[in-house]
Amino acid sequence: MTGMQPDAALAAMRDRQRAARQARRVVVTRGALAAAAVVGFVLWANFGSGRPVFSPHGTPETGWDAFRETYGVDTFGRDGYFVRAIQNGYNLVHHTHKYAWRFTRKGALDHPNACIDCHSAEALAYAFAASDRFDARLGRRVSFEEHVMRCYATHLDGFVPTTYDPAVRDIRIFARMVAHHLQLGEGALERTP
Amino acid sequence: MKRLLPGWKKAVRLALVVSVLFGLYALTLARHDERARIREQPVTLTPGCADKLARYGLEAGPRYISPYVLARTEQANTRQGYSDEDVRAIQRGCNIIDDLQGQLAADPARERWNATRFVRGTHSSCDHCHQGIGDKQTAAGVPQTGSLSLAASWVMADMYDQFTGILLPYELRQMQCYINSSNGYKPNVADDLIRDVTAYSRFLAAALDLRFGNRYAEQGIDEVTASQTAKRGDDYVRGAALFKERCARCHGPQGLGTVVDGKVLFPAVAGPNAFNLQSRNNFSFVSTILPGFICRNMPPGEEGTLSNQDCRDIGFYVSNLPRPAGDKQGPLAALWQQLMMRVMPPLIHTVETWQRPGEPAGSGT
Ligand code: HEC
Ligand code: HEC
Ligand code: HEC
Repeated sequence: MTGMQPDAALAAMRDRQRAARQARRVVVTRGALAAAAVVGFVLWANFGSGRPVFSPHGTPETGWDAFRETYGVDTFGRDGYFVRAIQNGYNLVHHTHKYAWRFTRKGALDHPNACIDCHSAEALAYAFAASDRFDARLGRRVSFEEHVMRCYATHLDGFVPTTYDPAVRDIRIFARMVAHHLQLGEGALERTP
Repeated sequence: MKRLLPGWKKAVRLALVVSVLFGLYALTLARHDERARIREQPVTLTPGCADKLARYGLEAGPRYISPYVLARTEQANTRQGYSDEDVRAIQRGCNIIDDLQGQLAADPARERWNATRFVRGTHSSCDHCHQGIGDKQTAAGVPQTGSLSLAASWVMADMYDQFTGILLPYELRQMQCYINSSNGYKPNVADDLIRDVTAYSRFLAAALDLRFGNRYAEQGIDEVTASQTAKRGDDYVRGAALFKERCARCHGPQGLGTVVDGKVLFPAVAGPNAFNLQSRNNFSFVSTILPGFICRNMPPGEEGTLSNQDCRDIGFYVSNLPRPAGDKQGPLAALWQQLMMRVMPPLIHTVETWQRPGEPAGSGT
């Protein structure tokens, strides 16, 4: 440090310190902002959004309470995984275009745009009880899930979900619950429970 | 820059790649066709399945009326009938449960959909635990309480499963038994191995007239909890003594099972051929199921002679014998269990023959 005045050296050091402080402040603020954004998003998703994807609870559609009453869903409880799956199944069957929009091209104004326009809840239960049989027309065994997948693709003019998709699974669970309500046995024939 | 290959070389390479892809495709088609052919073939039933399915009156027709229900209620319960294809699927499913690895089959791989691919050991068969080919009945001909009934399990499928915390479809429940109880790998949901068992379970539910969503006593195991004992705690040493006395003559002094002429007479309850650490049958994983199984079903012919405390002690002991690690326990646990399974049996055998030189060495060591 031969050629430099002490004052100038001090000033340079102060400058460096200030620059370092500023850099640190920028980093901390950025981090805090990012954290706030994440926390904010989580809070919004949980409490403010009202979007079904962010909620562990089913969306109550009109008619659900009446359905729950008539079909004795409460024998399985009022909440819980199984009941929520039934509720989602109810929504899927009655408002397919809204809850399974990924798998149908039908919109709110189309008709039919939901499973219930062509199948009653009972019919689905009977179809479930007699599913997994060999279909001579297709030349292979067809499960209930495959029937549902086919209806998405054909009658609802859409796409085929996978067997694991809630859009299929919850309809099966819905049918299972209706079958329970009707006290159907395996292979039950329509009108002879 | 890469020098471009002369045109003909490129063409040869391309042709090679294309023909390999076509070869694979042709192979897939051939395999697919073979499966279709197997589905067409008449099924050779195991003796157990021949009995069971005849008793339940399985045959093709437009309507199915269960003779079992008819005899009990004097009411013809008319159900949707089965086509020839359905009947064969049910028959194959029954065979799979009764004889998973095809010991009774002329051509095990074809008759059991290559089931051995999905289990690591050579002993496992579903019927060892799901007794009575998934439908165990008492002498009076009614389903036995807590007998792991597959029919009762089918009508309760999709319900919340307390061990995994999810809703398990029937297919996934089967897969769990391949992974843990049979210490193997899961078949695909659409695999015939799974679907035929589903078809068989559904037929059982029709034959027994079980209703959807009803809980039947024969489902699961009649579990023995600690509170059903005098609460002295589970006694390993007592369990070991009881095992020697009551179980070792069949399952072997170290639980490694008894195989004669390549046929599994008594399955392993420990070692590489047994259920793994994460099977619900494993006491240290779920402490109530194995004691329940033992109390209800073991030793065959003397069922019900063991007290709840006996069963828990034996269960505790059995689960401490070395066995394979579960899939989710990671490579270190797997390595450790492999080591234990190799080292412990000969070690214990040596020590015991040294302590009691006169005694003959039992089978299974
Ligand atoms: C436009 C009318 C229509 C709509 C909408 C429709 N289906 Fe279908 N569905 C049919 C017809 C017609 C059949 C029988 C012929 C066939 O398989 O295509 C059928 C067959 C079925 C079967 C097999 C029934 C049996 O008795 O074998 C099931 C299960 C089923 N549909 C479920 C559904 C579900 C779930 C939805 C909603 C996602 C749905 N369907 C939407 C017309 C419809
Ligand atoms: C080592 C004993 C063992 C073997 C072998 C075994 N299981 Fe299991 N299985 C069990 C136990 C224990 C349960 C769990 C019962 C419970 O949760 O209460 C079970 C449960 C099941 C369930 C669900 C039952 C329910 O009530 O939901 C199905 C389906 C099943 N097993 C199928 C099979 C099939 C198919 C095989 C043959 C590939 C097989 N199991 C082999 C012991 C076994
Ligand atoms: C007479 C011979 C015999 C005796 C004694 C006996 N078992 Fe078994 N055990 C069997 C047979 C055979 C099976 C296969 C189930 C079947 O085919 O019914 C079996 C199956 C089992 C299984 C389930 C199968 C598996 O893959 O893990 C367990 C656990 C078991 N026995 C435990 C015991 C215990 C504990 C005792 C002593 C209290 C005992 N056994 C005594 C013959 C015996």
